[in-house]
Amino acid sequence: MHRAPDVALLDLDGVTRRYGALVALDQVAMRVEEGEVRAVIGPNGAGKTTLFNVITGTVKPTAGLIRFADQAITGLPSHQICRLGISRTFQITALFPEMSARENARLAAQARHPRRWQPFAGARIFKEAQALADAALEQLGLSGIADRPAGLLSHGDQRLLEVAMAMAQQPRVLLLDEPTQGLSVEETAQAVDTLARFLQASRMTVLLVEHDMEVVFRLAHRITVLHRGAVIADGAPDEVKADARVQDAYLGGLD
Amino acid sequence: MSAALRPLLIVVVLVLALAPFGLPPFAMTLLTEALILGLFAMSLDLMFGYTRLVSFGHAAAYGLGAYASGWLLLHTGMPLLFAVFGAALLTGVVAIGIGWMCTLATGVSFSMLTLAFAQLLYAISFKWTSVTGGSDGLAGIPRTPGPFGFAALTSKIGFYYLVLACLVGAFLLCFALVRSPFGAVLRGIRENEAKTIALGYNTRLYKIAVVAVAYALGGLAGALYAPFAGFANTELLFWLLSGQVLIMVIVGGSGTLVGPILGAAFFMLMEHQLSSWTEAWALYFGLIFIAFVLFAPQGIWGLATGRLQMGRLRRASGP
Repeated sequence: MHRAPDVALLDLDGVTRRYGALVALDQVAMRVEEGEVRAVIGPNGAGKTTLFNVITGTVKPTAGLIRFADQAITGLPSHQICRLGISRTFQITALFPEMSARENARLAAQARHPRRWQPFAGARIFKEAQALADAALEQLGLSGIADRPAGLLSHGDQRLLEVAMAMAQQPRVLLLDEPTQGLSVEETAQAVDTLARFLQASRMTVLLVEHDMEVVFRLAHRITVLHRGAVIADGAPDEVKADARVQDAYLGGLD
Repeated sequence: MSAALRPLLIVVVLVLALAPFGLPPFAMTLLTEALILGLFAMSLDLMFGYTRLVSFGHAAAYGLGAYASGWLLLHTGMPLLFAVFGAALLTGVVAIGIGWMCTLATGVSFSMLTLAFAQLLYAISFKWTSVTGGSDGLAGIPRTPGPFGFAALTSKIGFYYLVLACLVGAFLLCFALVRSPFGAVLRGIRENEAKTIALGYNTRLYKIAVVAVAYALGGLAGALYAPFAGFANTELLFWLLSGQVLIMVIVGGSGTLVGPILGAAFFMLMEHQLSSWTEAWALYFGLIFIAFVLFAPQGIWGLATGRLQMGRLRRASGP
């Protein structure tokens, strides 16, 4: 069954975030359909990470409405938003360095376990969470290094482990904040190959912030361009590439 | 703790259980106090070692437990066992409030708030004379014998077994706790709290829960101390004790449960030995503490288990 095309899984309307005089997000409207890989691009300081923070509830919007799966989530605390099915990764790698990759992913899966507060369900919670975690590690091609401490993994594997942790939570939307940040050219190529394969196989709904245009054009179905907090273009990769305003923004000519 | 260490711990518990048959009364008194302090230090390890919640006010738990059990024993005629566990429970309940307030802050501010609450209780212990006895404290605390044949626990040796049972029980509880899914979240908070929140955990609830358990067990230690010593005074709530118990945890090896118990015993031993040589024993113990922090941050237990594992590796790889 297909959803009606006008029903978006994630729907932002007039979302604004001000810091004093600075407008980090300016009336952002955006609709992400189920199964879509959407990239959000824009020059430094365009408001991409703020957008993620507002969606996940770590930053409250000054104005506007965010709906997720037909439910208003504006202003909910971040752990509740997360529990509704929005998982994210961070621009700067955030892991539990002394735990193994498996334990990292298991802790992620455990957060969604319905019995996680029951005092004597420990063995069962661990077992079920571990099953989800191992499946996610497999999806991201990390099974071979799953028993190593996360802090000792290569940077590329650490980035992928973060994606696996998000996936272990069985989210409905995955927010990836610059998944290739800080990777070398070869590492980036490898990570993007793995991500492309994984996205194709899983048909995950993804919102992706990325600096590297090659990565964006490789992974995204649709692109939203932010500039100084406002959406200046929104469309298929080819349309966006050809858009004069986008080219101006990236060359710094837009005022 | 690896499975290989389990038999070792069982042997240690057996030796402790047999200790009254071999040790003179004076040594039994020291050993009883060491076990009480060990329980106290282990309770702090839940917060400090497993959750990286640095408390500068853990004496609040000890003192509150001591005053509560002392008051119950003096004024209600409650049997020893009920007074001790009642006091521990009370400390845990109070700690929910303290934890709720302290976890409004993080990092150093959290530590300062724990200190503030301990100092608040310290001030109350001076002023609320009708209940606490003011600067005199509570003296002459009896070990009221209880029903169901628990009267044996009130003798010197019987009380030692009560302390040992409390320590072993508390250890098993803590051990189960840190290896449970709940404990996994605590480790998550220790290593990266922001990420733990991002995964969808309400970390503050977990922190309040661990504070409550740590205070309840610290309160149990204090609740045992009052009828052990026969008194409870303001020193049991003083910041000096909060600092000393932190030192016991660090010297023994934080995040290991066993380490802090050893740390407490080591601290008592050092205090006893050094103070018989010099009045400035705290100065020399301070040097020992600095040496541990610089050269053996994993503590006594870390050193011991590291040596064991190295030995096993050498044997495994040897000819």
